[in-house]
Amino acid sequence: MSAFAAIEPATRAQWFAVAREADLGSPFETVLLGETVRIAADGAAEAGGRRLATRIACAHLWVCPAEAAPPLFPLPEMDEPDRRIAACGGVMVKASGLRLIENFLDLAHFPFVHTGVLGEEAHPEVPAYKAEIRRDVDEVWATGCRFWQPQAALGATGGLMVDYTYRVPTPFNVVLYKTCPLAPGRMDVIALFVQPVAPALSRAFALVAVIDPASTGTGLTHFQQTIFLQDRAILENQRPSLLPLDPGAEMPTRADLTSIAYRRWLKEKGVRYGTTLDGGAPSGAAGP
Amino acid sequence: MTPVLWDWELSAEAYAVRLGAALMGVALERRPVDVLPGRETEGQAFAALSPFARLPVLVDGETVLRTAEGALWHLARTRAPAWLPAPLEGRIADWLAFAARDLRPALAAREAALFETPSPFADAPGAARAGLRALEAHLAERGFAGGRWVEGDRASIADVALFPAVALAVDFGCLLEDYPALRRWSRAVRGLPGFVAMPGVPEFL
Repeated sequence: MSAFAAIEPATRAQWFAVAREADLGSPFETVLLGETVRIAADGAAEAGGRRLATRIACAHLWVCPAEAAPPLFPLPEMDEPDRRIAACGGVMVKASGLRLIENFLDLAHFPFVHTGVLGEEAHPEVPAYKAEIRRDVDEVWATGCRFWQPQAALGATGGLMVDYTYRVPTPFNVVLYKTCPLAPGRMDVIALFVQPVAPALSRAFALVAVIDPASTGTGLTHFQQTIFLQDRAILENQRPSLLPLDPGAEMPTRADLTSIAYRRWLKEKGVRYGTTLDGGAPSGAAGP
Repeated sequence: MTPVLWDWELSAEAYAVRLGAALMGVALERRPVDVLPGRETEGQAFAALSPFARLPVLVDGETVLRTAEGALWHLARTRAPAWLPAPLEGRIADWLAFAARDLRPALAAREAALFETPSPFADAPGAARAGLRALEAHLAERGFAGGRWVEGDRASIADVALFPAVALAVDFGCLLEDYPALRRWSRAVRGLPGFVAMPGVPEFL
């Protein structure tokens, strides 16, 4: 059976980041959706004897397992010359990649997981915002999110009310636009690109593209790595490790509008990999 | 003069020094090093600082310490002697060596789980559990005698040196369910005035 044939098209016909562009230069192997992918020194990719479509974009190497690759989603901010780009490297997490995306979309955990940085326990409120599936682009967006943050970015010098816009261009990739403390009217960009290794095992690549002339690249990387490791500790202890898509699993609250839209979108598209609907995966206690 | 710590937020060994300095009330100047993904510790510039290609490095005037254990000893000796009481020096040195030798597999298991760093141990999680069991047995025995700390009747640099590998075992999936004495002791460390955490140090143990 050819590589990736058992994976449903909604997951297979997508682009996945599998390495930082800066780390290319010698051949290596990596596992994507359970298949071993061999990456050549020049970034060419092959799995099961078949050449895979690849792209270099957003400081990463991207691979598409499907024979007919769709266009890679655009991130035009990456071309703005004054943006500082930090590709923070891969971190392994024992959880479904979809869980990682959903956690990234959640504002309500900031005061409790990123205390003193992205939130504080005295300001746990999530004001009303709008979450939608944008049919024209087939993406999930959440707009009008506002949150009080003690240190919204490395360059921030005090607390501020931060505007957030979330964008989920593909099931395993998410982009966040947030108020830039140093450039009024512009938005910092933070993205999380997830490489699903197995249904409940992921490699997460964080990307920072901010307007912050003063901070060092290492400083930007460390700030984002710290945030992500705080999330990882929560993600690894979530049960089930797979994203529950069966009806009634995990009662949503008001603050989870984006999560509801995301899960509905995944269901509509027929994404099963990394969810509790995947017959081949261990089921876990998904019930309410 | 303020000692300079070459540091990475995610390094368990650099954390031992940050934690020790915070508990001892010693200010540090922190210099971030791009260990991953930048591999700065493997480069020439870092080799001039330390031949071990590893964090932490603590520079205090003319003195350069290239291990967490050495840095903790130095900070206590020069600035906070209560953390290294003279009658217990031998036993504390013993525990620092234990941290560096027997709990090293726990750090290797953690780095493999997080960053896929190749481990020098055939079975790092297994070796880690052997080290944790030995410390559990010691702390359980201490508990029977009414002791809360690894040595003596107050916290010492032995407690500081041992804490990161124990608390961060969760990073490779070891939740310390089978180690009640380690959990009790880790709560005591977290309750010390000046305690600082790092990402991954659980609040629920």
